[in-house]
Amino acid sequence: MNDKKKLARNQKDTNDDMINLVDNLNRDEDLKYNRRSFLKTAVGTSVALSVATIPFSVKAMLGMETDYNRVEIAKLEDIPEGDSVVFNYPNDNDPAILIHTVNGDLKAYNSACTHLMCPVFYEKTQDVLLCPCHKGYFDVSNGQPISGPPQRELPLIEIEVDNGIVYAVGRQYRHG
Amino acid sequence: MGKKTCWALIIASIIVNVIMLQWTVEAFLGREYEVLFTYNLISLLSASIALFAYFQWRKVEYKKKS
Repeated sequence: MNDKKKLARNQKDTNDDMINLVDNLNRDEDLKYNRRSFLKTAVGTSVALSVATIPFSVKAMLGMETDYNRVEIAKLEDIPEGDSVVFNYPNDNDPAILIHTVNGDLKAYNSACTHLMCPVFYEKTQDVLLCPCHKGYFDVSNGQPISGPPQRELPLIEIEVDNGIVYAVGRQYRHG
Repeated sequence: MGKKTCWALIIASIIVNVIMLQWTVEAFLGREYEVLFTYNLISLLSASIALFAYFQWRKVEYKKKS
């Protein structure tokens, strides 16, 4: 018998024949990742997911939008049918697009795609709004997604035409 | 309440909270603040139930056998 003292089967680093049958087992991990630990982690996950919803409510309470300014976008004569202009509304951080459709309608939407915020463009040959990043298509008449990854509609910007000038006067989410 | 019920409640609460988080983000981005608060309440309630179930499970699990 060698000098090394043989450890008991239930001790760490034991050389007991009945313990070291399989190399991929680790006693420490066996103690760490067990049924009880799994349940505790599951409870922690549930609580963490729940807590993660709170900042959205706090931000919603702090940042509710109430009124919008009347902002000039462009002269109507500068936008022929099938053309579009970009502007920012209601803030400089909110890109938007005013479209004079091939049918003669005026439509305005915030132009950040509701999938991953890429800017959308007016594709006059198909009369749709196109997000080129992931091929998202929106209906130009109501801003609703037609195909591709986007799930939500583009925010609608309310417009007014006064003396040949197009103004943005408001914004609607979840319209139509 | 048995241990299996506690397990079921905790797993169910994770499922509910994953869905609520997804819906909360969508509601926030869509400015649907009324439903956002509802989802928030459901999520907190679900987490409370998970905590209650865990304490109940712990009481049964670590009870000394007489």
